[in-house]
Amino acid sequence: MNRTLLQALLFLASTAPTLHAGGYERSLDVLLPRVVKLYGLGAGAQAGYGTGVMVSPDGLVLTVFSLLIDARRIRAVASDGTLYDAEVVKRDTQRQLALLRLRPPSTGANEQGAALTSLPHFDMQCKEAAAATMKVRPGDWVVVAGNPFKVAEGAEPMSVAHGVISARTRLDARRSVKEFPYHGDVLVVDAITSNPGAPGSAVVDLDGRLVGMIGREVVSNLTHTHFNYAMPRDVLCEFLLEASGDTTKTSEAERTETAPPTFDPGIRLTRTGYRKLPPMVERVRRGSSAERAGVRPDDLILTVNGKAIGDAEEYDDRLRALTPGEPVDVVIRRGRSIVSVRIEAEKNP
Amino acid sequence: MTQATKPRSREATKGTARQVAWLVVSLMTTAPVFVRGDDPAVLREMQDRFRRVAVELRPSLVRIETVGGTQPTRSVAPSAPEDTGENGEGLPKPKRTQSPFRDDVGSPFVLADGPTTGVVYSADGYIVTSSFNFAREPALITVTLSDGRRLAADLVARDQVRKIALLKVDATNLPAPHWADVSDIRVGQTTVALGLGFGADEPSIHVGIISALNRMRGNAVQTDAKLSPANYGGPLSDLHGRVLGICVPMAQRPGELAGVEMYDSGVGFALPRNRVDRIVADLMTGRSFHRGWLGMVVDPRAVNAVVISKVADPSPMKNAGLQAGDAIVAVDGRPVNHFGHLMQALYMLPAGESVIVQIKRGEAEFSATVTLARSDELGPLPALEEPFDPADPLPEPPPEENP
Repeated sequence: MNRTLLQALLFLASTAPTLHAGGYERSLDVLLPRVVKLYGLGAGAQAGYGTGVMVSPDGLVLTVFSLLIDARRIRAVASDGTLYDAEVVKRDTQRQLALLRLRPPSTGANEQGAALTSLPHFDMQCKEAAAATMKVRPGDWVVVAGNPFKVAEGAEPMSVAHGVISARTRLDARRSVKEFPYHGDVLVVDAITSNPGAPGSAVVDLDGRLVGMIGREVVSNLTHTHFNYAMPRDVLCEFLLEASGDTTKTSEAERTETAPPTFDPGIRLTRTGYRKLPPMVERVRRGSSAERAGVRPDDLILTVNGKAIGDAEEYDDRLRALTPGEPVDVVIRRGRSIVSVRIEAEKNP
Repeated sequence: MTQATKPRSREATKGTARQVAWLVVSLMTTAPVFVRGDDPAVLREMQDRFRRVAVELRPSLVRIETVGGTQPTRSVAPSAPEDTGENGEGLPKPKRTQSPFRDDVGSPFVLADGPTTGVVYSADGYIVTSSFNFAREPALITVTLSDGRRLAADLVARDQVRKIALLKVDATNLPAPHWADVSDIRVGQTTVALGLGFGADEPSIHVGIISALNRMRGNAVQTDAKLSPANYGGPLSDLHGRVLGICVPMAQRPGELAGVEMYDSGVGFALPRNRVDRIVADLMTGRSFHRGWLGMVVDPRAVNAVVISKVADPSPMKNAGLQAGDAIVAVDGRPVNHFGHLMQALYMLPAGESVIVQIKRGEAEFSATVTLARSDELGPLPALEEPFDPADPLPEPPPEENP
């Protein structure tokens, strides 16, 4: 006890003269040397600057997929002010991520510097099971370091913001009028990170562990607000493993999108563009098994085989999961009453 | 090479470490540099609390989904029946779209389609939420309880001024949350806002502090927690899971969407229990609240004075015997010497509430009690008595929003 107390006091005493204070100190010591400022192509509302996260000792940098990386010359400035050129290793248009590699800075007129071997970085441990399951929990404090509005110049340290992880949820968003292609899990961050230059910022918890990276600026379809979020570490790892050729499996999103439903009961649901709507029946195909079961237009589907159905997408997912040939039990709200129907499976005509 | 995560046997020494940390904290309380959260143990304690608040309040949260309805237009036309008669030449009369008394939604914010949040108000199926969530006038409302049951909900009534709505579902034994005593709320205390608007089953957590009390004419507490459509209608809680208020969009002007443009800004509002209880008691009787109007147009040429130029007939002002040329000196004892003052005196008052208006007519001063009316209760404005003199200095059109 006494020794611990002494250590604690010494610890506090030793922190006094440093630049980083208190509870976030450890996180910041880890965080700041591991992010780089990126400069590349910009046009119109697309910033020509951004942030990247260093993920290997030999210069791999993780950032977002954006116009920036289409520049003929991508430059990266490390925390010590060293200027690197960077090249694109891998683009992921679905997750909207990109992997860059820093090249050694030239030391003289035409000379290449020594190979990069010992850069500070986050050890992603993507292949280890422990890394995949390491998840931050809602409520956890995080600190975010990046270069929003490029206020940090040259060797100046990145801008640091703090907040908690608000939630882990699926992304449903768009950029101006275009649907954002990534629909997987994200971490909602209780800090304003939806700013130019911030995408690619590293998000670390109180232990200095990288829990995510700020994603591209989007507007949520659910709230119509600028959405502050990070791509979770496990999603970053999926991309890194694909980039290193260590995985042959297709991502979950690709799998489900290509799989056709096994059984079509003949129900068409109300759908309007990107809007997420409760599963209201718009039309029932004549002669279909749903019609025989008594499903009617304007019915609201509550459950399919006992599972609550929130929207048309979940209805599709549920249909794909059905066992072919088995009847489907559907609970429907019709007017003020709740109706249960059993839709008999049939051979597709 | 260098490593982000160093495995440490933290768990074993955690308890002791925390004790020590608290001891050190208490030793250091006199040091001027120490602020809340400056110690990792304090931060860890807080994040555990945030989670506990979310867990404790989750049973009282409901997800609200709506079908149908449309984005409200910037100006809502009066719902009074229109005169469709014809004039002498057999041409249709111009429609009454020029009425200055229109219930403006107050913000160009475009509503989204996601779920919103509500809080169980009573065990017998009443749900309190923000009226913001029904600005679309949806045809169907469903409520998903924390146990997964999804029920059709009736919109009992709503208050478009204080932004509170009351839903009713057929359910019993719903867990209402504990509320904090309004008199216990202090500026600076930590707040946690919870919402289901981002689509996850668990509420999103947004933290902040109480920024001010008695905002919006004493109706709301202010917080710097990030409030947005993701948590409007949800609870603002203290660190013990006691509800401090219901999160609502608000601004110092009328309109059901007014204040939404300040989402996530660090300026957010919540209605505390005493206000919610009073409003809900009225809503339970089926009474809805709309923007309150005086039914008059002010003279834009008047400087440092609010002078009535026209009074609608019928209207609250007409009923109170007030007329063109009268100057409004004060409302409810609050001095009024330009149009903005008048708006500020009225924006939190729904139709049906009364105000005492201090009037100056010539040399005489007197006061009148005026009961505010809905826009659709107002009659037409009198036509101009004399044609416009082009030399008249009236460069500006009348203000868009007339009380």
